[in-house]
Amino acid sequence: MKLRRLVILILFMSGLFLPAAMSIQRFPKPEFESGYTEPVTQFPLPRGEFLIWMDVAVLLLTISLASWLVIKRRSRLGVFWLSLFSLAYFGFYRQGCVCSIGAIQNVTLGLFSGNFTIPLVVLLFFLIPLVFTLLFGRTFCAAVCPFGAFQDLVAFKPMRIGAWLNAFLGMIPYLYLGLAVLFAATATDFIICRYDPFVGIFRLNGSFGMFIFAGVLLLAGVFIARPYCRFLCPYGVLLNWMSRFSWKHLTITPAECIQCRLCENTCPYDAIDFPQTKKDPASHRKQINRMILLGLLVPVLVLAGAWTGSQVHRTLAGVNSKVRLVRLLQTGPTIKGQDELPEITAFRSSGVPQEQLVAEAGRIEQEFLRGSRIFGGFIGLVFGLTLIGLFRTPYRTDYVANRATCLSCSRCVDYCPVIKK
Amino acid sequence: MKKHIPDIILTKFLRLMAFISGVFSILLCILIIINFVQLKRTDPLNTPALTYLQEQLSKDPGNTALQQEIRQVDLLARKAFFTSQWQIRTGAYLLAISLILLVICLKSLEMTTPKIPSMIGTGHTDSLERRKTERRWVVIAGMVLVVISLTLAWFTHRMLTGSSSAITSLVNQGSEKDTSAKSNGTTPTVTSSSADSTGLTKETSSTESEAPPAQNEIRANFPGFRGPGGNGVAFQKNIPVSWDGASGKNIKWKTEIPLPGYNSPIVWKDKIFLSGAKENQRAAYCFDANSGKLLWTTDLSKIQGSPAQMPKVTAETGLAAPTMTTDGHRVYVIFANGDLAALDFEGKTIWTKNLGLPKNHYGHSSSLIMYRDLLIIQYDQNGSANVMALAGKTGDKVWGTSRNVKISWASPVVVNTGNMTELILVAEPDVISYDPATGKELWKLDCISGEVGPSVAYANGMVFSINEYSKLAAIKLGPSATLAWENNDYLSDVPSPVAFNDFVIVVTSYGAVVCYDAASGKQQWLKELEKSVYSSPMIADGKIFIMDKQGTMHILKADKTLAVVGESALGEGSVCTPAFGDGRIYIRGNKHLFCIGK
Repeated sequence: MKLRRLVILILFMSGLFLPAAMSIQRFPKPEFESGYTEPVTQFPLPRGEFLIWMDVAVLLLTISLASWLVIKRRSRLGVFWLSLFSLAYFGFYRQGCVCSIGAIQNVTLGLFSGNFTIPLVVLLFFLIPLVFTLLFGRTFCAAVCPFGAFQDLVAFKPMRIGAWLNAFLGMIPYLYLGLAVLFAATATDFIICRYDPFVGIFRLNGSFGMFIFAGVLLLAGVFIARPYCRFLCPYGVLLNWMSRFSWKHLTITPAECIQCRLCENTCPYDAIDFPQTKKDPASHRKQINRMILLGLLVPVLVLAGAWTGSQVHRTLAGVNSKVRLVRLLQTGPTIKGQDELPEITAFRSSGVPQEQLVAEAGRIEQEFLRGSRIFGGFIGLVFGLTLIGLFRTPYRTDYVANRATCLSCSRCVDYCPVIKK
Repeated sequence: MKKHIPDIILTKFLRLMAFISGVFSILLCILIIINFVQLKRTDPLNTPALTYLQEQLSKDPGNTALQQEIRQVDLLARKAFFTSQWQIRTGAYLLAISLILLVICLKSLEMTTPKIPSMIGTGHTDSLERRKTERRWVVIAGMVLVVISLTLAWFTHRMLTGSSSAITSLVNQGSEKDTSAKSNGTTPTVTSSSADSTGLTKETSSTESEAPPAQNEIRANFPGFRGPGGNGVAFQKNIPVSWDGASGKNIKWKTEIPLPGYNSPIVWKDKIFLSGAKENQRAAYCFDANSGKLLWTTDLSKIQGSPAQMPKVTAETGLAAPTMTTDGHRVYVIFANGDLAALDFEGKTIWTKNLGLPKNHYGHSSSLIMYRDLLIIQYDQNGSANVMALAGKTGDKVWGTSRNVKISWASPVVVNTGNMTELILVAEPDVISYDPATGKELWKLDCISGEVGPSVAYANGMVFSINEYSKLAAIKLGPSATLAWENNDYLSDVPSPVAFNDFVIVVTSYGAVVCYDAASGKQQWLKELEKSVYSSPMIADGKIFIMDKQGTMHILKADKTLAVVGESALGEGSVCTPAFGDGRIYIRGNKHLFCIGK
């Protein structure tokens, strides 16, 4: 068993170089002076209308099937095979695009920019999983999302991580979501797509850094199940919210829990809530006072977050290409052996007056100031509400799946000896 | 999953397969990584062997055996490179297959091996304690986030200059007025556009009238390359036809030009302007037209946004090939690195900017031209061609038009074609006319090819374009532009043609001067100068002035009948186009500026 672990470890580390090796640059283009005209680059035709709608149909079918397998059939095996299909179709065949996670940015840009219309298919990919989660919990995560399926496939030795780490890392998706929305709203970048860890593997093409990132995630995923889903996925935040109010949700036991504790250690995602029968030692009065204090603390945290956001807005604005270009023009850095940075050369050759660029960059910085305040306020709100949630002590006698964090993978149901009569 | 069938043989087989595929994958990984690193280090186009052989060949260019050897080495290097790529690609596919096999085996093992849920040390922690820990770490996460955010903000703040934002500071820099330049008008002074001059400097006051000069005022002067409108026709009278540089006959004055340049002089009233540049120095000069005295020099070496290094240019183009222009209020200068500046008549910098390093393998040479108060720049670079108009007073862009043409070295021509004034540019494949006020394309004709250097000529509703290895095309303007005739007997690669009345003159760089009938294209006469010519011919005072590279001016009668007026030697080589004043010719020699006249 030790040998097997070692083999897996080394393989995943070395496997990182596989797709990077495939993306080596070829020779630079020759500069013809003989009058030869280079043929126009042929771009692939857009995906056919039928195939686009087929993607939506496949999404609907797989998510319906996943919901049925999770809620009705309670079949881990079915979920596993369906997730393999999703990995093959949405991952390797569709090469990770269109994807519900990235659709957050399209929807945001569509809402904030008058020049961008959200494609209907993208909107459906964004909404369908949310609607299904509202109905049946996170069945999308269980068997439809190719990212989840990929990580689930390599979760050979999942370990439980400490509550402290879970709490600490669990805040990252909110941060990622806020940043993704901020950058999309300011038409700066689609960071979810840019830093998509698995798309390089799906396409066998990508930057070396991204392969390292993907490799680290998969390697970590051998021991910490689905690290991306739990500690990064911005769409997971939305699904988490929806799932809390889901109409039906996976239950560990199909009938009455017999407290056998067989399911206790089966969830690799730490999403089983244990029975909680102990009462909060604080007095009722004290609890009420605490909640009032926390209620007052939330707006303070929102304001503090907004202030912090406003302080960091220039750093965030630096991601925007126009703002960065203005700063480069100001500082005038060069690369060794070159007169100036390619960005500056490209700008100068565009014929756009510098004043126009500066004005545009100034407008973008103002947008970032507003956006960063909202973003900071949102993060402050998340922290405040999370703290309030953590002070609540719900009374529970059974082992139940946590509706927010349960990914509906159905592993736990296999261990439940209760049979519904 | 509920039925677990322990099968020892199957389990052993799966373990064996997992082991084999695992070991195979590790080996493949190692090989791929080694190959990848090697490939990253290798530059097949610049191997030491190839570089050495190329150096040898540069010393002995005629060595065919060496050329053959270079080809062989180059081919071998390329083959090795592509073979490595193929190996990586193939290895990657094999690695993918073996990894898939490994995952299948491990997953099968997982599914065939029953898992007994553990209840020992279950981690069944006290929920209250757990929540307490979580609360603590959520707070820590929040604090860490705030600290990281504020640290980043501090670093950003520190990185950007000044206490205000970088953008604000850039805008503020733009509004600063350059007050460093002064001149006393009698002693040559050097004013400087220093590194802190921003390129966005604006003129904030002017005592001069800003009305564009009238047509008669333009014609009374010589405001740009090839005279008013850049059309090769000057309107001055009493032009001298005889001089001798060696003896000083009719040489009114001669002044050394501090920096080299192939741009031609321009004249406004009693001032002559030209520019010069070398690797780390760029300057504009003003000379007194009567005495030849250098009135002022404005150093333009360090304007805002100027690239750190000058572009690579050929010796025949140099770093200051484009001729300056003036609107009577300011003079405008551009250099091979895209540095552009407006100076007042005292040499004070009004505004500067850099248009971006031109992608030009010979060097940027297109001269500037004015249309009313607009400074027009033809910026046809490799990969991006455009023409733009800047407000002469402020340097603000008024319009810019992208051109779907190749790189060119020709200069713009602004002429009144009867109903309106047109801006006519030439570059492969088209001669294109624009409205100089808006940049809107008026017409175009596909009639030229190659690396176009000569500008167009215009007279009486006919436009003439020419280029070596292409043709001389005569375009008749009317409701639409049509090709009237074409001829490819004598073609020019540098000198521009000139049209006058009903004929057009073509001067080739090898010294053939040909006159064609403008309407029919019929050759009227041919004169072989037997000298190289880079200067463009000028028509003035009823005569054609053609300067050869050795500095001899060939003067012919501007007529459909050939008549030689005379030849006069400057005593110094020249490739520049002469400028004219009443009774005077101003010629930029290789080292000196000459005034011919009494």
